Amino acid sequence: MNNGRRHTKKAFPWRRSLWIASLLAPALVVMVLLVLWPLLSAFRLAFYEFNGLQPTGFIGFENFRKVLFEQPYSGWTYNALKHNIIAFVALMVFENGTAFLLAYALLKALPGHRIHQVIVFLPVVLSAVIVGFLWKLFLHPLFGLVNQTLALVGIGAIPWLGNEHTALGSVLFANVWHWLGFPTLVLLAGMQRVSKEVIEAARLDGAGDYVLMTKIIWPLIAPSVTIVTILTFIGSFNWFEIPYVMAGLTGSPGGATDVLGLYFYRTAFGSTTTGIQDFGQGSALAVMMFIIVAGVTAIALRYLRRREIEL
Amino acid sequence: MSAVTISGVEKAYGKAQVIHGVSVDIASGEFVILVGPSGCGKSTLLRMIAGLEDISAGEIALDGKVINDVALKSRDIAMVFQNYALYPHMSVRDNMAFALTLKKTDRAEIDAKIARAATILGLQDLLERYPRQLSGGQRQRVAMGRAIVRDPKVFLFDEPLSNLDAKLRVQMRSEIKALHQRLGTTIVYVTHDQVEAMTMADKIVVMNGGVVEQFGAPLDLYDQPANLFVAQFIGSPAMNILQGHATSGGFAAQDGTLFPPRQTGRADVQSAVSYGIRPEHLRISDSGVQAVVEVVEPTGSETLVIAKAGGNTLSALLRERVQIVPGQPVFLAPDLTQIHLFDTRGQRVTSRLQ
Ligand SMILES: Nc1ncnc2c1ncn2[C@@H]1O[C@H](COP(=O)(O)OP(=O)(O)OP(=O)(O)O)[C@@H](O)[C@H]1O
Ligand SMILES: [Mg+2]
Repeated sequence: MNNGRRHTKKAFPWRRSLWIASLLAPALVVMVLLVLWPLLSAFRLAFYEFNGLQPTGFIGFENFRKVLFEQPYSGWTYNALKHNIIAFVALMVFENGTAFLLAYALLKALPGHRIHQVIVFLPVVLSAVIVGFLWKLFLHPLFGLVNQTLALVGIGAIPWLGNEHTALGSVLFANVWHWLGFPTLVLLAGMQRVSKEVIEAARLDGAGDYVLMTKIIWPLIAPSVTIVTILTFIGSFNWFEIPYVMAGLTGSPGGATDVLGLYFYRTAFGSTTTGIQDFGQGSALAVMMFIIVAGVTAIALRYLRRREIEL
Repeated sequence: MSAVTISGVEKAYGKAQVIHGVSVDIASGEFVILVGPSGCGKSTLLRMIAGLEDISAGEIALDGKVINDVALKSRDIAMVFQNYALYPHMSVRDNMAFALTLKKTDRAEIDAKIARAATILGLQDLLERYPRQLSGGQRQRVAMGRAIVRDPKVFLFDEPLSNLDAKLRVQMRSEIKALHQRLGTTIVYVTHDQVEAMTMADKIVVMNGGVVEQFGAPLDLYDQPANLFVAQFIGSPAMNILQGHATSGGFAAQDGTLFPPRQTGRADVQSAVSYGIRPEHLRISDSGVQAVVEVVEPTGSETLVIAKAGGNTLSALLRERVQIVPGQPVFLAPDLTQIHLFDTRGQRVTSRLQ
């Protein structure tokens, strides 16, 4: 009576596996060649000493020890890392926080929400280089739009990118301006998936905007929040273009805008001003950045997913 | 418990007017059901009472106080949605507690109210579950529990039973009715199931195309439909309607078939152009309208017979067991006290004796 099942499932298990393997093989080969191999070779280079771009000998964890524990390298590493962390926190609060409020406003479909949606998303399609350049112009101490506008209300010129207290903030601001539309759209999509009746039921239960946002919408858009958080984390630890265009390779002034991406680039490929170049140390930095991003992402994904499953 | 007064209410979405001046007086504690075909504006009217849609013209008052501009959170009205609209991330208990927590009710009182509602609805063992762990019927009860704990002035229901299977629907129908008798809260309930309307309501509002066709007690609508629309909408199977004109001997259908006159018939029925008789008011007899049986559908308790009288199709619902077969000629005799006549505008024609 079980004939049919035995025939299809049990008779040729070995041939079946082979068939599946043959289907997967081409994709795996491409993956290994184009993704895994370059990744692993970068890992390998982190353990070598270099003369220019020429590896000269295996030195174990020496490159890692230098960038982590030996001055001045370690000082630069931690300074840059600190700025990546600040960037992540600031972007979570300001960029994604604004995005959440904006998405909520768009969800309420106030008059003109369609055009606003387009406007908010518009900068996202610009290249980071263009955005960086644009904001560098706007923030020019004498001729920039920002200071000229401030002058109209009697505020003196502020050297936004030249002052170590305002430089990182200014670069972050340009980044927020550039990317704001993306988390807004992701969160809006999440909010639009919350059933309209659930929101109406909450309003009838006496919920105002604040309660609606915190008690109903926020928990129900957990999947979108996961995506936005992870992407923001990856973005802030791989941050490069906008600080590079706006503050240069050395993270001027005085390293106030230095981030791991810039520091890695300087170390691996050298720069006209620092003169130091060490491909091995650069690779060590790249490996550490990869481990931080991959590790934290994996852990965060697990934790945030758990929050979603509770729904 | 509150009275709801709807006067001259209109609703327009942009240029499209969907409610054209509706007036209904709902007394405190009444169970009122809005029925009508799909798209006639039932949900829209209900949502205007709730405050989910604004009112284009006219007034809605709660206990005499106009609430057009009262924010919906201050209206103290609870609504049960067709798809339940439970908060998916909250347990059954938290779903019910939500509104009370927002009102800063103290914990002991919230617990007491939830316990009471849970007992009424048989939810005691489900309080810690999440909506996704409940069946459709259980979700329906939770949605009702969420409304009950608030002790609102008015309950609104928008087709609450349409997602349930037939058996559960019948059971929930009597539970809701029992609930109303127990709590005595005013209920406005939307359905397009006229059986639901007939069995549950104190009063029925029959709507069509954004206007009220008739407002009254179920049996009044059944016995004295104000117009053709109500006549055909209320009652199942639907009333037989024949087009034609009144003659001295009764009513002549378009093909000339003659139907007997209303018992109370007088000269004033001359204006009638439609003749209505409910299937249950037709009997098989020795005399009457001559017809040929086409279909016989016994259900056990009664038998539905569809027969052709000239060019007119008539259905008759028979209480007694009859031995008839398709093709058999019969005489169908209308109950002469139960004949409905309508004029050219579809309005009921009443004789002075009635
Ligand atoms: N947001 C809207 N914009 C434009 N027209 C609408 C809107 N909402 C409803 N309508 C229209 O209003 C009319 C009444 O809709 P409503 O939902 O009240 O019908 P209903 O009687 O509840 O029907 P059903 O039995 O199918 O639920 C419909 O013709 C519908 O197309
Ligand atoms: Mg509806």
